[in-house]
Parts: sequence; structure tokens; C-alpha cells
Amino acid sequence: MKKISLFIVLAMLSALILSACSGSKETSKDEASGGSNSGSGDQIELDFWHFDTGARKDIYGAAIKRFEEKNPNVKVNVVQVPNDDYKQRVIIAMSGGEAPDVFASWGGGWLEEFVKSDKVMDLTEQDIEFDKFIEVALNNSKFDDKIYGLPLGISLYTFFYNKEIFEQNGLEVPKTYSELLSHIEVLKKNDIYPLALANQPKWPGAFYLMYLADRIGGEEVFQNAHRRTGGGFDDEVYVEAGKYIQELVELDAFNPGFNGIPYDSGQARQMMYSDQAAMMLQTGAFVNHVREEFPEFEEKLGVFQFPAVEGGKGNPSNISAGVSPTWSVKKDTKHPELAVALLNELTSVETAQDYVNRSGNVVAIKGVEVEDEYVKTFTEWVNEANSIQFPYDQTLPPELGELHKDTTFELFGLGMTPEEAAEAMEKKAKEILK
Amino acid sequence: MSTQSIIDTESKTKSSKVVSTEKEVRKKRQRKKSTAIFLFLLPALLIYAVFILYPIFSTFNYSFYQWNGLQADKTFVGLDNFKTLLSDPTFWLALKNNLYLVGVSVFVQIPLGLVMALVVLSKIRGKRLLNVLYFLPFLMSAVAIGLLWIFMYDPVKGPINQLLNVVGLESVHWLASSDMAIIAVLIVIVWQFAPMYMILFKASMVGIAEELYEAAEIDGANGRQKFFHVTFPALMPTIVSSSILAVVGSLKTFDMFYVMLGGGSGSATEILGTYMYRQSFINFNMGYGSTIASVMFILALISVIIIQYTNSVRKKRGILE
Repeated sequence: MKKISLFIVLAMLSALILSACSGSKETSKDEASGGSNSGSGDQIELDFWHFDTGARKDIYGAAIKRFEEKNPNVKVNVVQVPNDDYKQRVIIAMSGGEAPDVFASWGGGWLEEFVKSDKVMDLTEQDIEFDKFIEVALNNSKFDDKIYGLPLGISLYTFFYNKEIFEQNGLEVPKTYSELLSHIEVLKKNDIYPLALANQPKWPGAFYLMYLADRIGGEEVFQNAHRRTGGGFDDEVYVEAGKYIQELVELDAFNPGFNGIPYDSGQARQMMYSDQAAMMLQTGAFVNHVREEFPEFEEKLGVFQFPAVEGGKGNPSNISAGVSPTWSVKKDTKHPELAVALLNELTSVETAQDYVNRSGNVVAIKGVEVEDEYVKTFTEWVNEANSIQFPYDQTLPPELGELHKDTTFELFGLGMTPEEAAEAMEKKAKEILK
Repeated sequence: MSTQSIIDTESKTKSSKVVSTEKEVRKKRQRKKSTAIFLFLLPALLIYAVFILYPIFSTFNYSFYQWNGLQADKTFVGLDNFKTLLSDPTFWLALKNNLYLVGVSVFVQIPLGLVMALVVLSKIRGKRLLNVLYFLPFLMSAVAIGLLWIFMYDPVKGPINQLLNVVGLESVHWLASSDMAIIAVLIVIVWQFAPMYMILFKASMVGIAEELYEAAEIDGANGRQKFFHVTFPALMPTIVSSSILAVVGSLKTFDMFYVMLGGGSGSATEILGTYMYRQSFINFNMGYGSTIASVMFILALISVIIIQYTNSVRKKRGILE
């Protein structure tokens, strides 16, 4: 008995360790059967990993088909892994030297971590037409003046609202923050949740902090804090932004229990679809969700930019957006030319056109015709924007980005004062950003 | 005399020769047997070594390095990671949450499993249905359970809050506030794992000899006395192994917290498993993550040793009495 139970225990313990470490084994097996670099002349295989689903996945599939037709001796093995798992699997694959030849990322701090570890190919000298990319998006994967990734999509963060609810309550699109606050009062009186929020994954709430800081202090605040050029994350602007957030929470501007609602499970979107909530600050992917989940809602759907804060220094045309996906090549690929060619196909005008037509997202590539109504609006905003702010958690080094999301989450949960949150951020920033 | 003794010794040596050859044959047979046993065990041993022992050792090895999980060259830092860990408030918080979990597992899950087993084995009506109902949660995958309960706990439309409202109570933001979130997840874990203990208890209760109960009855024992003096002592080994499973299970748990709270909703609900994941795969601190994993291993090992030791002491005392 004793021995058996001890054995069980040992087995269980090991399972725990395994769960932490087995990944590398799994992937290496995958790779072995995939035979990424069999390189025996006639048939070449390239591994390509990404994290997108739905229409975007199909768009990449079409691009790969075109690539394979142009290069008949090449076969591309596509692996699609959902977001969080994706990050983990790429890390393990990279450390085990079994990384995919071409992989997707969000650029910014996450990609930089791989660049610093010398795992990503420098694309600067490669046969790539860099002029066709929108510069800010390309800069997101540029480190030390070298380009390590090619952007395809730009996902805008903006307010989506229910036009019908606004009409019924005699509301106009708010231009200023105080208008937004008075709208919130009106909507609350009519038993509608003014703002839908699913903050369990923490990034939806972080959008508020990012926009408020930008509207209050301008885009320099973050840049100065990030580059350590005379500013910090304990800047008065961040404290102020934290206060605005907690004011919203105390106003009951959000649906109840928002900090416990995951975004993917869709309860917050449901509130929008069922006219229970009036507005939601979300990524452009919301359009996609509406079309997939509840297409009838599209006729009620409107968009407006984050309103200006009175007395704030920020230019109200400033936009927050994420670049996704950004394509990169691993440094030790056996077929650099082919990998770059695949990159070019994945960012070709044809792919970009397909992407813009079907993904509901703005594209980071010039010379594309936009038909989708939302994408048109978004593209205009991008073109008119004074500056584009990429999300902190993707721009900063991962550990700091994570802390930014944690502290903002605590601000929303009223578990931290704005001063405490700002100080915690600055303390970590001093450790990490030198 | 002397000849006699010579013969004697001769015969002795002869017989001893016979014995030794016999022994050799037996030994040979045994050796053959043990090689056969070894050969049959070999595949399992190999798998065990490659997938279990090796990762354990490499995890311990990584824990001495500062490493982001990617770089080719790791920096050896000795025990620095462990020192950092000891002064890391999040680690202590996570450990505290894990200890909560251990407490709930041992003092809620196991008794609940015992009660469920008693109910299912009792003579009430509908026990077959109950048997199935009780066992269902254990058949579901952790992710499915997590998602199911996220909807159960939904602050607006969740059945639990609607039920509370019907009874006239205020809605509770189950997963939103960190205090409630822990309790909410603990409820789910109890719901998920109590059936496993039920099965264990059921199996060992069926194995208790009917004669013991008959003897107790003859001695005039009532139902309660029968439980405490026959059933309970007979279940002791199961209780011990259940506790080991519960303690180790709660120290190493990860999935339900990850699914329901998104890998630690704020650090207040962090547990060791999610903290390890977060450090290794999100913060790019593979070395530090391995340190956390190693400490989890050591903690689990220590608690198992303690349980085993007290159990053996208890057994010895039982014999002496």
C-alpha cells in the first residue's frame, strides 16, 4: 500500500514537472514528423506558425497556396495555435532550436525578447520592398534600426456603440469626456449599462488607461517613460488617468462584475447585442465578432473615437492600435531565401487586399482598395492620426507590460490607488528599462 | 576415528557441493526470472526516466540559472533564484492560496466524498441516479468545467446570482473580487474532485467484511457506532492515500485557476502553478519559473513524507495497542 501510494505520488509529482517541461518534447516530435529541414534537394518544407482564426486563417491559407504554386518544390506546414498557447509554444520551440521558419507575432516587446536572444533574422538587407509598408507599423518591429518583422494588419482600438440606444435616449456621439460622462448618467437612469467591459484578460481595461493617458498628457508621456527620456510611469498624467478610471468605476459606468468576465466567452458582447449595454471600447476585431456571432446587430453598430479630455494636452486624433500579425523569420532557418519569399507573399498586395476585404481590419500595406465601411473609417482615422500608440503590454518588455495590465486591473477593481499603481510601475520600470 | 572423520568430511564436501550446485541452479533461475522481469519493466522504466526523471532533474538544473528560456547561454547564479523567491511577496501569497486549497481539499473534499459514498451505499431510493449525478463532474474536462462555471457565475445572467436574487439576496461578483474569486474557484474544485474520493471510499467500503458489522450488531452497536468503530477504521488507509492525493493535487494545481481566472486575476489570486507559468512563459523568466517548480516539488515531497511517516507511526501504535 505504502509503496503503491508513494509511487502514485511520485507519478503525480512528475506529471507536474512534466507539464512544465514536456512541451519541448512534444514540439520536437511534431517537428521530427514534420521534417522541417529534410532539405534533400527536390522537396523542401517550411514551417509556418500563426495564431489567427476564422477569415484570417483562410486568408493566410490562400496566400500559402499562391506561394506553393510559385514554388512547386516547397511545402509549407501550417500550424495554428490560439493566442496564449502560441506564446508558450514559440518560446519552447525557440529554446529547443525547433522553431518554425516563419512565425507570427505582435511585434514590440515580445518580439524584441527573441531578437535580443539572437533568434530572429535581420530582414533589413533582404529582398523586401519596405516602402509599401505604413511606417509606424513597420517601426513596431524595428529594433536598433534593424527590421525584424513585416506587419500585415493594424487593429484599431475604438468605441463601438449601439446607434438605436443613442437615438432613443437623444444622445449624440460624445466629442468630449464630460459629454461621455453625462451620457453615462442618462443611460444609467434608463437601466442600460453605459459601458460593456470584459476585463478578466486585463487588456480591455488597459485600453482605457492608455487612451486616458494619451488624451490627458499627449503621446510623449508614454514615450518619455518608455525611453527613459525624462519621464516615468509615475508621471502625474498616469495618476490622473487612474483617477478617471476609478471615477468611472464608482459611477457604475460598467456592467457589474466586469473584472471576472473573460472576453472570449462573449458575455460582454452579448450585452451589446441584446441592447443591455450601449458602448464598448474594443479592438477592430469586434466588427468580425458581430458578423460571425450576431450579424443582425451590424445595422445598429456605430463607431466613435475616444473623446477629448477637456484641458488635456493630447491630440484627439491620436489613435491606439495593435499591429497583428507581424511576420518574422527565425535566424537559423535553412532556407532564408524561401522564407523571405514566403514573407513577401504573406504581405503581398494580393494578400493585403484579401485581408482588408475579409478581416474587418486596417492593413499595414499601402496600395490597397478599401470597400468595407468600417475599414474605410478606420483607415481614414489612421491616415489623419497625429500619432499611433501601440498597446503598452506589447510594446514594453513582457514583465513590465504584464505589470501594467495587473496594476490597471487593480485600478478597475479599486484594489489599488492610482498613486500606488503608478509607483509600482515606475519601480519595475527602473529595474527593467535601463 | 581418523578415517571416519575423513569420510565424514568427504561426504560433507560432497553434500555441500550438491547443495551449492542446487543453489546455483536456483540462482540462475532467479537471475533468469529477474532479467525477464527487468526486460518487461524496461519500456516503462525508459519512459519514466525520459519523461519524468529527466524533466525533474533538468527543472532543478534550470533553477540555478538566470535564463529567459531562449538564450543559448544561461547565466549560472547558484542559489540566487531561491533567495529571490524567499523574499518574493507574490510567492508567499501564492503559497498561502495553495495552503487554502490544501485545507479545503483535505477537510471539505474528502469528507464530502465520504458522505457521498455513504449516501450512495445506503438504502435510500434513487441512489443509482444519485450515483450517476455525483460522478458526472469527474467525467468532464477541466476546461469545460471552468467555462461552464464562468457562465454559472456570470454577474448578470448567471444562474447562481439569479437564484440569489430570487431568494432576495444581493448579487455577488463571484470572479471579479479577489477574495470571492478564490472561494468561487475552490467551490468548483470541490465540485470537480469530490466524486473521485467518493469512488475511492465506495470501493473500500464494499470491501469491508459483512461479518464485522454483524459482530458489531450482536454487540448492540447502533448505526453511528458501527460507522465510527467499523467503517471508519477500515477506511483509514483510503483516507491516508486520499489525503496524499488531495495534498499533492492542491499543491500542483493549475488548470482551474488558469481557465477561470485567466492565469491569476491580479496577483491576489495567484497560486504556485499559475505563478510558475506566468514567470516562465509570459515574463520570460524560465530560470525563476523552474525555481518555483522545484519548490513546488520539494513542498509536495515533504508533505507526502510527513503523511507517510505519521501513518506508519499510527500503524505501529495500532499494533502495540
